[in-house]
Amino acid sequence: MNEILLSNQVIVYLLSESILFGLLFIAFMITLGILVKWDFGSYSEQQFLLERRAYLTMTILLFVFVVKFLLLVYFVFAIDSLSILVPGAMCAAGVISANDYGLLLLFFKLLILFFLLLWMALNSYDLHAKNYPLFRLKSWLFIVIFFIISMELGLDFAYFINIDTLEPVNCCSTLYGQLEGANPLPFGLNTTILLILFYLLYVVVVGAMLSKQRILSIVATLLFVMIAYYSVVYFFGTYIYELPTHNCPFCMLQIEYYYVGYLVWGTLFGGVYLGIVSSIMEMGLKEERKKEQKAALILLSIFVLLCTAYVAVYYFRNGVFL
Amino acid sequence: MMETMIVIENLNKHFKSGDAIFKVLKNINLQINAGECIVLKGVSGSGKTTLLSIMGGLDRPSSGKVLVEGESISKLPDLHISHFRARKIGMIFQHFNLFDHLTAAENVMIPLIPAGLDMNEVNHKVEASLKLANISHKAKSPAGRLSGGEKQRVAIARALASDPAIILCDEPTANLDRNNSLKFIDILSQLHEMGKTIVVATHDPLFDTLPFESRIIPMEDGSLVSTVSEDVLEQG
Repeated sequence: MNEILLSNQVIVYLLSESILFGLLFIAFMITLGILVKWDFGSYSEQQFLLERRAYLTMTILLFVFVVKFLLLVYFVFAIDSLSILVPGAMCAAGVISANDYGLLLLFFKLLILFFLLLWMALNSYDLHAKNYPLFRLKSWLFIVIFFIISMELGLDFAYFINIDTLEPVNCCSTLYGQLEGANPLPFGLNTTILLILFYLLYVVVVGAMLSKQRILSIVATLLFVMIAYYSVVYFFGTYIYELPTHNCPFCMLQIEYYYVGYLVWGTLFGGVYLGIVSSIMEMGLKEERKKEQKAALILLSIFVLLCTAYVAVYYFRNGVFL
Repeated sequence: MMETMIVIENLNKHFKSGDAIFKVLKNINLQINAGECIVLKGVSGSGKTTLLSIMGGLDRPSSGKVLVEGESISKLPDLHISHFRARKIGMIFQHFNLFDHLTAAENVMIPLIPAGLDMNEVNHKVEASLKLANISHKAKSPAGRLSGGEKQRVAIARALASDPAIILCDEPTANLDRNNSLKFIDILSQLHEMGKTIVVATHDPLFDTLPFESRIIPMEDGSLVSTVSEDVLEQG
């Protein structure tokens, strides 16, 4: 059997994902049944039964979704730890690109993370109202999430089964390193413009959120996540590694860098997702979502401060920039 | 014309145990006016306590509707039903349900904590409730050291602390001697004068002849035997 499938991390990860999928499948079947017969205006025995079932289902989903968040972190930890089994890999970057499924799987996980946050925000609103006004909407969203998670589970197995421990893979230096003369940044940007955009977009995001410019906030947040990704990989990351030639989004997840990557990426994606979710909710419900917005602003501010702090500390210690 | 406080429509409640279904309440229809005192009379197992629990939002029906001041409470989510209970309902239980290690005053204080009042206001309400229930002299005594009658009066004070419009009493005199039961009825009389809507579930014969206007509704095997409102409906 594939060496990868016998590693502890992968066994724990795939088993956990499969159990969660089993729970989701049960919730999916019940939700379909509820959606067909749901009529909140009715006081019949059937409707009372459906409401009890719906409450139970939502509780199960909330539990599963919280565990999915933790499993995403564990997935990153697992693929990082597999780098010792995959020839050529120095960190998760090499392992994730060991076959065609890896990056697609990561994309699915980030997409699911967004939908889970959206569902949780809808669910929270729904449970605070008196008549479950968003029940149908959140149930349909769950059905969409269920199908995406089904595909994710398939990709999970396809990815881990197809990692060849005999085939060398590229390490992060090759994957993210600058080829001679080539500019890895998008739209021909250079580092200076990248940094100007990074801080400018942060200010725009904060300003748009505080001034309730919801569409601007969503657009600016989406641009910010893209610029922030390149800024971390090609600028701030070099200060984390204290190596001007090392560009990798994954190495910072390792113990050598005090696992700071989890904080960097966690605050970025957490802040971005919460920002978008709060704006979507505000547009749809015509109601302020202060909690989510505040959390988004705090997370994004921590992210920006953390990145800036690495550069500032390096400068104060050494008197030069990289 | 009297204002309607509680309306119950086609209420049913059943419990499942394995394959067996126990129908505890069967198609209950009842209207209770504001300031009215209702005595639900019946033997153990007739469904009095279940009906009282559903009226107080402690339990949900299997089907049917309960309206309090025009708002349906039978389907309110947990968060809202808790707010409803805290604002509208005072409950007095057969076994008092006090925290024995807390003093009488602390027991009365408990339902006021979620309201977020300042301590002066809380203390004022606690004092007033204890005085109304005639138990002020035991304010600092731990509830565990009080007699049955005193415990019941602390329970009354606790039920009154948040000034609810509705007082629900579940077998309130079952653990009291005759003397204390009569004292309890005296306090109930005061609450009636204050305009509280009172519902008592009991099988105590003392409630057959209350010294104030009340409506006795016999319950039998999960059904109301007859009610004034039904009589009025029939006449209408």
